[in-house]
Order: sequence, then structure tokens, then C-alpha cells
Amino acid sequence: MEVAQLTDMMYALRNPAGVPFYPIVFIALGVLTFAMHIFFVQLMLGTGAITAYGAFSNNPYWQRLASAMLEIAKVSVSVAIVIGVAPLLFVQVVYDPQWYTANVLSARWVIGFIVIMIMAYWLMYYYYFRNGKFGQGADKPKARWSIIASLLVFLVAGWIMHSLTSQMLHPELWQQWYVPNGAMDTTGSQLHANNPWRFAFFILTAIPVAGAMLVAYRRFKSVRDDADHAYLDWAAELGKKWLKVGSLLVLIPYLGWMLTLPETAENFAGSIWSILPALGFIGLAVWSHLRLNDAKSICNYMVLAMAFIAVLLPSIGREVLRYDILNGFFGYNFFDYKVMIDWYSTLLFFGTFAVVGGAVLGYFLTIAWKVGQSKGVYVPSPAVDRAGTIAIWVISLWMVHFFVLGFWVWVQ
Amino acid sequence: MELIGLFPTWYEPAVGSGWVVGFIATFHILASHTSVGAALLFAYLSYRAWKDDRDDYLDFVKKYGLFLLVFTYVAGSLTGVGIWYSTTVASPNGIGALIHSFVWKWATEWVFFVIEVIGIYMIVYLVGKVDKKTHMKISVIFGIASFATMVIIVGILSFMMVPGKEAWFEDGGYLLGFYGDNTFIQLAMRAMFMLTMTAVVGGIIVAGIKDQAFKKEMTRKLGWLGIIATLLGAAMFQLYLNSVPDYALLVMENRLPDYFGPSIAIVLALTIGYFVLTMVQPKFLVSGFAGTMAIVILVAGLWPEETARESMRKPWVAGQYVYSNQVIGRDVPGMDIQSQLPLIEKVGILKAHPFTPEHLQTVNDGNKIQAGEFITMTYCANCHSVSDSGIRPLHRYFPDQVTQEVMARYIRGALVPGNIAYMPKMPMLESEVQAIAAYLTKINNDGLAATNLAISEEIANREAKQLADKAGLVVSMKSSAEEMQ
Repeated sequence: MEVAQLTDMMYALRNPAGVPFYPIVFIALGVLTFAMHIFFVQLMLGTGAITAYGAFSNNPYWQRLASAMLEIAKVSVSVAIVIGVAPLLFVQVVYDPQWYTANVLSARWVIGFIVIMIMAYWLMYYYYFRNGKFGQGADKPKARWSIIASLLVFLVAGWIMHSLTSQMLHPELWQQWYVPNGAMDTTGSQLHANNPWRFAFFILTAIPVAGAMLVAYRRFKSVRDDADHAYLDWAAELGKKWLKVGSLLVLIPYLGWMLTLPETAENFAGSIWSILPALGFIGLAVWSHLRLNDAKSICNYMVLAMAFIAVLLPSIGREVLRYDILNGFFGYNFFDYKVMIDWYSTLLFFGTFAVVGGAVLGYFLTIAWKVGQSKGVYVPSPAVDRAGTIAIWVISLWMVHFFVLGFWVWVQ
Repeated sequence: MELIGLFPTWYEPAVGSGWVVGFIATFHILASHTSVGAALLFAYLSYRAWKDDRDDYLDFVKKYGLFLLVFTYVAGSLTGVGIWYSTTVASPNGIGALIHSFVWKWATEWVFFVIEVIGIYMIVYLVGKVDKKTHMKISVIFGIASFATMVIIVGILSFMMVPGKEAWFEDGGYLLGFYGDNTFIQLAMRAMFMLTMTAVVGGIIVAGIKDQAFKKEMTRKLGWLGIIATLLGAAMFQLYLNSVPDYALLVMENRLPDYFGPSIAIVLALTIGYFVLTMVQPKFLVSGFAGTMAIVILVAGLWPEETARESMRKPWVAGQYVYSNQVIGRDVPGMDIQSQLPLIEKVGILKAHPFTPEHLQTVNDGNKIQAGEFITMTYCANCHSVSDSGIRPLHRYFPDQVTQEVMARYIRGALVPGNIAYMPKMPMLESEVQAIAAYLTKINNDGLAATNLAISEEIANREAKQLADKAGLVVSMKSSAEEMQ
């Protein structure tokens, strides 16, 4: 098919209902939430890898760290899944022609993804329950295979997502995949496109991200009276090593990815958007080398933000690359998606996000933070307690608004 | 541009793509409704624990919460995403219609999801680590956030059946699409169902309580919750049936199997009987019994109920303007959406479909079966299987050894103009009618294997002809060159 025909095809596949706000907003939210999602994926993989290594180690520090990181891995999976809902939502809004086509053409894998994810998660929980919260200290952990299997199965799930997002960028091959050699293939049994360098880059980024977590872990735990500083220092040193080496290591697959971009990406590899992510990781390594020498410094927490920025840059680059290919080569421009402005639902989201999300999560995270740093039963200060009351009021008012407005519309 | 927004088709021969969505959705509903109901129960118990200074209530919340965390939150959150994924591959335009009208509502729900996920960890792991008042506050927030996820999704599900207000078709807008009779009644019905499920699944945890007095107290609490919710839920289901359009009831009567009504009635009776029995004799409450009851409700209650809800909205799949075969079959001026039927009537489905390969754009004797296959996969495969297995196999609808002429007459008279109440209108050119008739007749009379063989022959013949043409071209070019020399 000619490029012009492919352009027509993609425009025809757009949803005629249009979008309720300016497309760039969905793109921006998609990039931000994808970066958050992949950050927690990497955190899960990195801390999961520490857990797996610790399960086979005789070093008591490694065993202890493995047990602590399993807690983080477990929560990170939940957070990665729930945050992952957002970029999945936003990609369907402006890139529905590409996303839906890529999915339908590999439908069995798409369905399999759900089963695979549930298996991987349950395998992690299986390991957790077999060994108890502190089970790694005394004896050798049981069912060590399950944590390894969990990580491997998670990687399979990651490969499926990687393939689907790669398939989006090949409209020139879609019809060939749907009707290979002239015969229809409606099975959706194949994954058609991939770039192992790209996959390796996003997976190996787990090393510096987990390293950042180890540094922050030392800072967080060191304020407690019962802190074992020798162990925490060991963990932080390991984290620094992972940060520095990992940040430089990921440049190899990144370079590989940039060198193997499809021809349709034209000049992306030399653009500022491809260089920035590399600079981000080099910057993270240098910053870690210079700023993490004082165990009490605030930089020990800031390192998580720095790691996030390093992850955000390739997330932005990935989006620009998509735009470059789909608009630059194939003439599909998300900016001209039909807009049917809906102010109420737009404001409802941003209001809920800022006010309800801010009040509730602010309260939740304050409590969680304080509990982590306290011994015994934590009793919040009057200010924190009041924050809880405010959060209850805010979320209750949201519910009242939902029903009052709903009944008003209903009786019209 | 004479193309319409149709994606490739995913055809699942074993059970049908619709049933794959159904399996995932039913499991998700079980998990998510239990979670939401349990969140409200946790808020109540945590409040009582604070007011009455009861540690055992919080201990129960912790155990039930951990159970939910592993089973319903892992499987529930993933099958929730799974509904998106499965509808994406089974009905891309259906899910697309919902996404494009309600993206912000879904994004709002996402904020509550995040609160829920962090909240469940806090509720479980902070028992004994924070004072009871703080735990109560966290639980109340968690309960309201969980319920918020339900009120949001119910509005979207209601739109799938019918937009909230008729005015939505003319005026568009989120509010008119979201709120209506169906929204609130369905919400009430689901709220009752979620409390029933909370009481049943909670029994698995209650069964493990060692303190007999506490076990009896919790059994009674859950028993009353279950009985009241089940009775109110049954009443709400009747109200719900009164809130759907008349044609939907007609479709339901025609489409649903005979066992549907008795199955629902038996499950209701069993559920109430279960609660009464365990309240009178708490010793009968063992985890296996409660677990079995949950499965009975899933298989014999939830599955038929969800199947009914799915069937009732046919021939539409979303908002009464997207057909189950993904074609837009109605104008929606309020959203500036035009029916795709006039264009298909003009150019035919093969030319209108963006994924029709070059060699199938025009029907001829050399591609008739394959063109028929393409049309069948586009128009029929969402709801019908072409093999012996799967969803509503097509061969069941036609007599043995039906002739192609009779088949074509049926397609021309019933399907093209949309004369079957619960099936979409399917415009086709006469050549396309002949192609699909040839394919369906072949499938019906000779079976799938023979049909696939016939398609392979068409492809082989086409390739041979292309080769011959190419060779002929080479020969003619060669002779022209020789002549020139």
C-alpha cells in the first residue's frame, strides 16, 4: 500500500466520537503516567531481582535485604498495575487506530497477558507466603524457584507489551500480518514486531532504579532507634554501585535501540530527543557519584526523583519517536483529532485528581511514612489527624456531588 | 475517502471472542464487587472497633483484607484491565465508543483506584501499628473510594445498554450519556449484589475464627447482611428489567435459554438458605462451604445475569449506535457521528473496509469463497462461529444441503435490510451477497476443512495466474526486444 493509502486508513479508523479535550493534554498525561508506570515496573524488577539473589545467598546481609525488598517488590507490582491503567487509557484516546489494530492482530497474546500477569503475581505471593515476612533470616528460603519463575513470567508479560507497542508503529505491515500470503489470519496468534535493544533498555533500567531505592531505604530506616547502621550502609553502598554502573550500562542497549530504529523514524536517532535520555542517565551516574556521600543528606531521598527524571526522559523520547514515525512518515497527526469539548468531565477529572487525590493520598502517605519510622503504635499529631478528617469530608463531598448532579440530570 | 472505521477481526473458534470477554468480565465482577462490598464492611467494623474498643474486629478486617489482597485485588485489578484488553480485541469500536465519551470519567475512576490500592495495603498492614481512630479514618476513606469506583463504572455500563437520556443523541455531552433510569437502578442492584458477595466470601474468613462466640457474632452479622442484600437485590433486578427498553426484553425472551429464570430463582433460594443455615448453626460454616457457595453464585447466578445483560443490548454493542459487528448503524447528531450504512450500501463492505486486501476488493469467480470468508469474518464472527464449536455456530441456522440460491435469498431478504430484530443491518452489493452465500453454503454443506481447501485453491490459482502473467510479460518483453534488434 502507498503511504497516502495508509494515512487514509488510519484516519478512517479514528473514533468518530472525537475526544472531549485537546489531544495534547492526553498525550502529556500519557507520557507522565507511562513514566510513572515503567518506573514502578523497574522498581519491581530490580527489587525482585535482589529478592531472588538473596534467596540463594549465604550472606546474612543479602538475605535480610532480600526480605525487605520483597515487600517493596510486592507493593510495586500493585502500584505498577494500577498506574499502568492510565497510559493504557490515554493511548486509546488519540492513538486508537494504531493501538487497536496492534492488539487485534495479536489477540491471543493480549488475552494471554492477563493470565500471565496473574500467574507472575501469584508466584511472587506464593514465595512470600512460603517464607513469611522475615523467613529469609534463619533458614534457607523455601520454594526459591517461585521468585525466579515470577520474574521470568513478568518478563514475558513485558515482552508482549513491548511487541504491541512496536506493532503500532508499522502500519505498512498491518495488512500483510492480517492477510499473510493472501490468506486471512484471524487467529491473533503471532507477535509480529519487536526490538530486543529497546526491550533490554527498559528492563535493565531496573538496575539504577533499584539502586536509588536502596540508597533511600538506608536514609528512611536509619532514623529509627533500632537501626542496624552497618547493614544499612552496606545496602546503600550497593545501591550507589548499581546507580552508577547501571546508569552507564543502560546506554549500551539504548545506543543499540537508536541504531536499529526503522527507516520510517528518519532522523530521530540524531535529534535532541534521542540524545536527552542518554544525557539523563549519564547525569544520574555523575550526580550519584557527587551527591550521595553524606548518609544524612536529603539527596538520599532526592535520588528517587533523579532516577524518575532519568526514566521520564526516554518516556518523552519514546512519544516523540512515535509522533515522528506516525506523523513524520505516515502523515497521521494526533493534533487534528476531532475535539468535542466537554468541560464538566474535564474539570471533574482534574478536580478529583488534585483535590480528592491530593487530600487523601497526602494523608495516607503521611501516615505510612510516620509508621515506618516509629516503634510501637503510632498515634498521629492533631494536625495529621485533622488532615484525615478533611480527607473524609473531601471524598464524601465528591460522592454527594455525584448523586446530587446525577439526580438533577435524571429528573430533567 | 470511502473507508469506514473497521479493524481486523479476531476470530476465536473454540468458544468465541464474546465468551472470552464474558469469562473475564464475570470473574472480574465477582472479584470487584466483593472488594467494594468488603471495603464498606471494613469501614463499619473499623468504626465499631474504635467505638467499642474491639481488637477482634480489626483482626477480622486484617485477615479478610489479606485474603482480598491476594485474590480479589490481584485477580480483580488484572481482570479489570483484562476487560479492556479483551473488548479491545473482540470489539474495538465498542470499547472505543465508551473510551471516547468517558475518558475523563475513567481517569477519575483511576484516581480512586490508586487510593484503593494504597488503602488496602494500609488497612491490612497497619492493624496494631496505628491507633484505632486512625485505622477507622483510613477505612472510611477506603470504603468511600471503593464505592466511587463502582458508581463511576455503572454509569459507563449503563451507557452500553442505552445512553442515560434520549436527548444525548441530539445534544451529546457526558452528563446526558451517563445519568439515566438505567444508571441508578443498576447501581442499586449491583450494590446489593456486592453486599451479598461480601457476606458469602466473608464466610471463608469467619470459618477460620477460633473464638466460638465471636464466630457466632460475625456469622450473624454477615448472615443478616447477606439476607437483606439478596432480597433487595432480587427486587432491584425486577426494577432493572422494567428500566430497560422494551425491545431489550423482547430480545432477552428470545435469546436466553429456558434455564435462565429457574437458575436465578434457585440461586436466590440457595443463597438465602445458606445464610439462614449458617446463622442457626454456625458450626456448619466451614471455608469449603463458603467457597463452594461463592462458586455457585458465580456460575449459576452471576454468569446468567451478565449473559442476560449482554444479550439484551443486541444488535447494539454500545450506546445504541455501534452495532455488535462494529459498524456504526445510526446517526448521533449530538456527537457529530454519521451512520456508516449509506457508504457501505454505496461501495460495498469490501471496498469500505480498510483492511480488505487488493485481491478481494472486487468479487470475481476466482476469489468468491475467500471474499465470502472476509465478509463473514467482518459481519458475523463477533457473534457466530463458522466451525462446529464456539459461539452460536452458523450451521445450526441453515438446513443441510441448502442451495446457494436459497442462501443468497435469505441474506438478501433478511440480513441486508436488517429484518431480524436482534441482528444488525448488513448492507452488501449483489456480488458480495453471492460471495458470502457461496462461503456459507460451502461451510454448511461441506464443512470448514473443505471450505479452507477451496480457499487454498483460490489462492494457488491466483498466484499461478500472477506467475503466468509475469512470465507472459517477460516473454512479450523479450520478443519485443528481439524485434527491435
